[in-house]
Amino acid sequence: MKNSCFITHWITRSLVVSAVLLSFQGNAQESNAQEDSVQEDSVQDAVQIGSGQLAFFESKVRPLLVQHCYECHSSESDSIEAGLLLDSKWGWETGGDSGPALVPHSPEDSLLIEAVRYEEDAISGMPPKSKLRDADIAILEKWVSMGAPDPRTKQPHSEAGTNENSFDLEKRFKEHWSWRTIQQVTPPKVTNQDWPNGAIDQFILFDQEKIGLQPAQPSTRRQWLRRVHFDLIGLPPSAQQIEAFLNDPSEDAHETVVNQLLRSEQFGEKWARHWLDLVRYAESYGHEFDYELPFASEYRDYVIRALNADVPYDQFVREHLAGDLLERPRLNKELGFNESVIGTGFWYLHEATHAPTDVLGNEADIMDNQIDVFGKTFLGLTVACARCHDHKFDAISTADYYALSAHIQSSCRQQFNLDVNQQAANAKQKIRDSLELATKKIAEAIDRNPAIIELLANTSRAVELPTHLLPEPESSDAQNNKEEAETALLFADFEENSLPEGWSTTNDSFEPIGSRLIVRSDGSLAMPGTIDSGRSGNKQVGILRSPTFLIEKNNIHFLAKSTANLKIQVVIDNYQMTSYNGLLFGGTLLKGEGTNTGGKWAWKSIGGNLRKYVGHRCYLEFIDPGDAEIAIDKIIFSDHAAPKISEPTEINPDQLKELLSQAIADLSRGKANRWLSWQSAQATSMLEMINSDVKKQFDEAKKQNQTIPAPRFAIAMAQGTFEDASVYIRGSHTNPGQTVPARNLTSLGGVKGTRLDLANQLTGPENPLTSRVVVNRIWHHLFGTGIVPTVDDFGPQGQPPTHPALLDWLAKDLMDADWSLKHTIRLMVLSATYRQSSVASPAIRSEHLALKDPTNRTLYKMPVRRLTGESIRDAMLFISGNLDSTQFGRGIPTHRTAFMTGRGARGSGPLDGAGRRSIYLAVYRNFLNPFFATFDTPSPFGPQGRRSTSNVPAQALTLMNDPLVIDLSKRWGKKIAEDKEKSVDDRIRQMVLAAHGTQTSDEQISVYDQFLTSQSKIYGKIDERAWSDLAHSLFGMKAFYFLR
Amino acid sequence: MLQWCAQGFGAIALQSLQNQTAATAGTGPATGAPWSPKSPHFAPKAKNIIFLYMDGGPSQVDTFDYKPALEKYNGRNPREVIGKLAPTQFDAIGNVLKSPWDFKQHGQSGHWISSLFPHLSEVADDLAIVKSMTSKFSEHTSANYFLHTGNGLQGRPSMGAWLGYGLGSENQNLPGFVVINGGLIPPGGLDCFGSGFLPSAYQGSVFLPQNQPLPNIKRLEQTDQIQTNKLELIRKLDSQLNDSLGGDSEIEAAIGNFETAYQMQSSVPELMDLEKETEETKRLYGLESDFNNTKTFARQCLLARRLVERGVRFIELTCPGGNGDRWDQHGGLVDGHNKNCLTVDQPIAGLIKDLKRTGLLDSTLVVWAGEFGRTPFAQGSNGRDHNPFGFTIWMAGGGIKGGVSVGATDEWGYRAVENRFEIHDLHATMLHLLGINHTQSTFRFSGRDMRLTDVHGNVMKEVLA
Repeated sequence: MKNSCFITHWITRSLVVSAVLLSFQGNAQESNAQEDSVQEDSVQDAVQIGSGQLAFFESKVRPLLVQHCYECHSSESDSIEAGLLLDSKWGWETGGDSGPALVPHSPEDSLLIEAVRYEEDAISGMPPKSKLRDADIAILEKWVSMGAPDPRTKQPHSEAGTNENSFDLEKRFKEHWSWRTIQQVTPPKVTNQDWPNGAIDQFILFDQEKIGLQPAQPSTRRQWLRRVHFDLIGLPPSAQQIEAFLNDPSEDAHETVVNQLLRSEQFGEKWARHWLDLVRYAESYGHEFDYELPFASEYRDYVIRALNADVPYDQFVREHLAGDLLERPRLNKELGFNESVIGTGFWYLHEATHAPTDVLGNEADIMDNQIDVFGKTFLGLTVACARCHDHKFDAISTADYYALSAHIQSSCRQQFNLDVNQQAANAKQKIRDSLELATKKIAEAIDRNPAIIELLANTSRAVELPTHLLPEPESSDAQNNKEEAETALLFADFEENSLPEGWSTTNDSFEPIGSRLIVRSDGSLAMPGTIDSGRSGNKQVGILRSPTFLIEKNNIHFLAKSTANLKIQVVIDNYQMTSYNGLLFGGTLLKGEGTNTGGKWAWKSIGGNLRKYVGHRCYLEFIDPGDAEIAIDKIIFSDHAAPKISEPTEINPDQLKELLSQAIADLSRGKANRWLSWQSAQATSMLEMINSDVKKQFDEAKKQNQTIPAPRFAIAMAQGTFEDASVYIRGSHTNPGQTVPARNLTSLGGVKGTRLDLANQLTGPENPLTSRVVVNRIWHHLFGTGIVPTVDDFGPQGQPPTHPALLDWLAKDLMDADWSLKHTIRLMVLSATYRQSSVASPAIRSEHLALKDPTNRTLYKMPVRRLTGESIRDAMLFISGNLDSTQFGRGIPTHRTAFMTGRGARGSGPLDGAGRRSIYLAVYRNFLNPFFATFDTPSPFGPQGRRSTSNVPAQALTLMNDPLVIDLSKRWGKKIAEDKEKSVDDRIRQMVLAAHGTQTSDEQISVYDQFLTSQSKIYGKIDERAWSDLAHSLFGMKAFYFLR
Repeated sequence: MLQWCAQGFGAIALQSLQNQTAATAGTGPATGAPWSPKSPHFAPKAKNIIFLYMDGGPSQVDTFDYKPALEKYNGRNPREVIGKLAPTQFDAIGNVLKSPWDFKQHGQSGHWISSLFPHLSEVADDLAIVKSMTSKFSEHTSANYFLHTGNGLQGRPSMGAWLGYGLGSENQNLPGFVVINGGLIPPGGLDCFGSGFLPSAYQGSVFLPQNQPLPNIKRLEQTDQIQTNKLELIRKLDSQLNDSLGGDSEIEAAIGNFETAYQMQSSVPELMDLEKETEETKRLYGLESDFNNTKTFARQCLLARRLVERGVRFIELTCPGGNGDRWDQHGGLVDGHNKNCLTVDQPIAGLIKDLKRTGLLDSTLVVWAGEFGRTPFAQGSNGRDHNPFGFTIWMAGGGIKGGVSVGATDEWGYRAVENRFEIHDLHATMLHLLGINHTQSTFRFSGRDMRLTDVHGNVMKEVLA
């Protein structure tokens, strides 16, 4: 019965198809054609489904699909998971996000089968809740093996299963305010024309007047001074500074103060901390052992210097994104080193774990963090939200996310020698000059008298000659190790005078020799056909980096002559933690004695066992950290052990004659000769015998070599092999989809290019975000709340600007002022808005305020703000006379209390952090300073432009009982107690002025007096203890740690 | 002017508590202190959670997940008998390794429990054992962050922080999220107990099981009077400041914090003082054990009960050190697991019995879990490597159906194949039992409404009473 129905059905369909085919030959529209071809396939299949197969499907397969799959994978599902439909043949043929669900006749290649087997290679086990019974899995396998006969040939009506997407980037782009071009705005006219002190105030007052408000009275001079000191340098004004300001009758007294503060070194120390909150600055990697994040403080110091130097913000941004690619990097004024490249270090301040079992997944997570920091910090965009799907709200696609990941994936983390005063580079030039002269003299001497090179042969006659260096190594290898020669792949052989394509170097060490005759600084001839890190002295620092390649073979072998203490590594999926812990990556790093070839040419192997990483991306790095040297002949990939070095063979006089004539021939053509180079290295004084003049050059080179200082490293980015990135479907790195090239966000033009292109586009005048975001950050730090309160999120999920016109005016003004951040800060703190007191104008009724502006959105007064933990600590050090103003350098180790235990714990630092400013205290991810944590210093995992401001008992406990607070109170109290020249009351006044910046009324003096008396009564005498108690109390008062 | 004295402080603190209007769960505090109590979404089954964190990853096949197949295939190459294996942390896959311990069924429920847990076996019928938990990470720190925060990376809010954010706590003189540190801070460090992007007030307070368990909880002044004089002075001047500002809510809250802090100086040591507990209770927990680590963990468990009595919302216990490398027996399985079980078995059983007889078990959820399980095949000869693909956790107490066994791994105890659960499901269930809908407890951060369960999680209905 069933069969006959089926046949009828087939005939009908077949007729329809004939008709359609005819019309298709006419002028069928494309959409019809698609539909029809589906039907055509159905017919084909219908032909193929035999009755037995049909019965099998209906009785075994369909029930399984209905029961276990349809809930999430049918047109009727509430939400279709992974875009996959399994309720029609069309569904599994079209497939979901990961492509077709099965390959007929080939269960091993079918995702569906992989899923039900719970193999979990590319996709999760399905059904997710419980694995199917083995018998059921066998049914599906059998079905696929049969060719997946499926009578469900009807294509679903709706869009269901076509990965329907309401994502309309252009629409979102047009609708959201922050994508719009910055407007040229004129400050609005206000009624009270006496109050404004510039454009900012006009905007602010305009909004106040609109709702019947008016500004607060100006704060007192003392209040303003304390406010502006903490805001600009993070420290309170001293008594002398207060005195000077109060007695400055000039009109520009405020401006004088602001300019002084902006010029002070402490300015950068305060504002750098705001920036470090964005780039999740830390000096360790966190996770299990909290390994050191090397040279992190170089980045911190760079930020401080840049802010103090008022480096234009657009330049600052370019340096962060592409400081390594700038044609003319900014040089440090005093020490002449490359500042710009240090900016790129921010990319690598992420947390990191060792031994990830899934190294590609590890890279994907790190890139997520890097993109998150990039997007929020510079653009106020939550780009990272588009990792798994197009952004839910903003005009950012998943392809945009992966276009940015392509930039990161194409880049390499490197340890860059800053080369203070370019000493290494200068020495290199001088060494080269000397050696080139020596080379010339040697060449001339040989030219005059070719027989002279017999000197070389004669002297080293006792030495046996390894034939593998003669004349072309490839042929000898093939003879010596047939099996190897057959399977090995030659990766690089450095035959040319320039770097092979795709290879790159950093700093001054590595140089290709090619066929050139080159005298090395050790007095030997450089080996032709190699790349050499010792040509220009043996103290140069540098990195040789291979292009990115896919791992195919189990081993990497290279023929080299190398000292100990290089670092040679296979960097797999940009994983960089092997130098801390080799687990799971054994053999991918050679270091210490592992790089030593004992003064000979030898094959070295790296990789250990790369088999498990076959298919992963990687590159090779040869790092010469200074006191080491390597010359590399060639590199091969192989599944076998390293080729054997052939046994040295005696050379008879005939052979020698032949070698000599070959050498003479090479030299006469201006080419180096391998045998000659080898011979020269056996006895380096031989060149001097050829021409005694060269000794002078060698001595000069040696002298210059000694001037090369120890390197000063920073972590930086370098351009690796430029490549497209795969879109990871639903964010799953095991499931790569189409590729996208490195480019900018679609909404910012989407132009392809390098990181430098990206940086230039982001800092160009047409990008509306960069300038808006940064002026808003400054506003946030000075007024407590940003014009856009969600400072890191200018997207639709963030809050809109309270003063959009002002925001644009400020953004434009910043660009007009050549992106000077100090200019913008000066403008804001000199405004009448900033000068307001923290109490609303008595002229406005509080009911009116509560109704019209309960949150102080219009800034009708300055908010009361709590000091940051850093400022509280710095101020206590300053006030108690214990602040050490030394700048820069490695972080002072965190003082570790008994409560701070766990893996990776370091020795404890001093309780008072050696008196250094808080910015110079180390940030160890697993041992964050509890004092700062209590006062909301963020944990360094991602950008936090707006700290939470909690107000909790733990803060009171800290100010009451923390040993640091007690210690500084004691030190201050002792100092005061010893100052017996002054009266008690004068000392009280002095202390209150220092701690709170305020005068003390007579009434208050008597309260303090009483306190001193009662404390002294308890102690039994008047001494420093009572003064310390007073000091301690002053630190606990809200007038100390809140700003009016 | 307010006259300051110790009693006055307490009274004021209490008053300010009563004045706080309860906000709704998941919205954070509308007003007032971050830990002030908030209403749940629906009637809760439990009020507090005790999370027994088994750092390092206990072996499921040696504790609760009995697998006779391992005996049969002991010593065989796992690739031959089990099939394809996922990469392991140490990449040193040995042979199939049967459990060195005997399994027996216990209680009415007939739970299979190995001889490692003689005391816990006595309360078998109170346990809902979940044998099909999975994690996403094979590496400790990521797995720890995942277990604690629902995310494998550092810096996200911990479970306890989310509960504080959603529900507050019933005791304002003690932190609402307490970690009792038995000696081992887990790999990943204190960030396992952090507040992430939530306000820092919600971070876990790490107590050491000693008289002064917290930093800065002990006054350093010689006498109370010396300190109270200072506090009185501070209060006087603060009031003047506040008046001059016409009453500023931030300043007022900060003033209040000094009052609470003063209270905590005495309430916390009182909490830690176990002297008033009866000898019988101390014995029950194992405080008189010959094994030092048992005593330490007993003290932790007893403290957990005392914290629950005082209304503290979330209590987590970490393991004592010195039992091998936590539960992380890559080698020395027998010695390590023997010691770890000896450490926790009696104290946990004592805790459950004690909570039960005091009636507190009905309103307290007890969760026992490691960050992952261990491989059914050996690492080397006598260890087991990490295994996130299927492992066992258990729950007991308020809202839990004691005696059920949920889910299953394959016949090897390697991969969860029946009723597979994720850590997100555990989190969803914990929140559910405390009256919170995990999809509605959100915090706007970085453009998203963040959740403990991210975009995942289903309540594990099978374990609910």
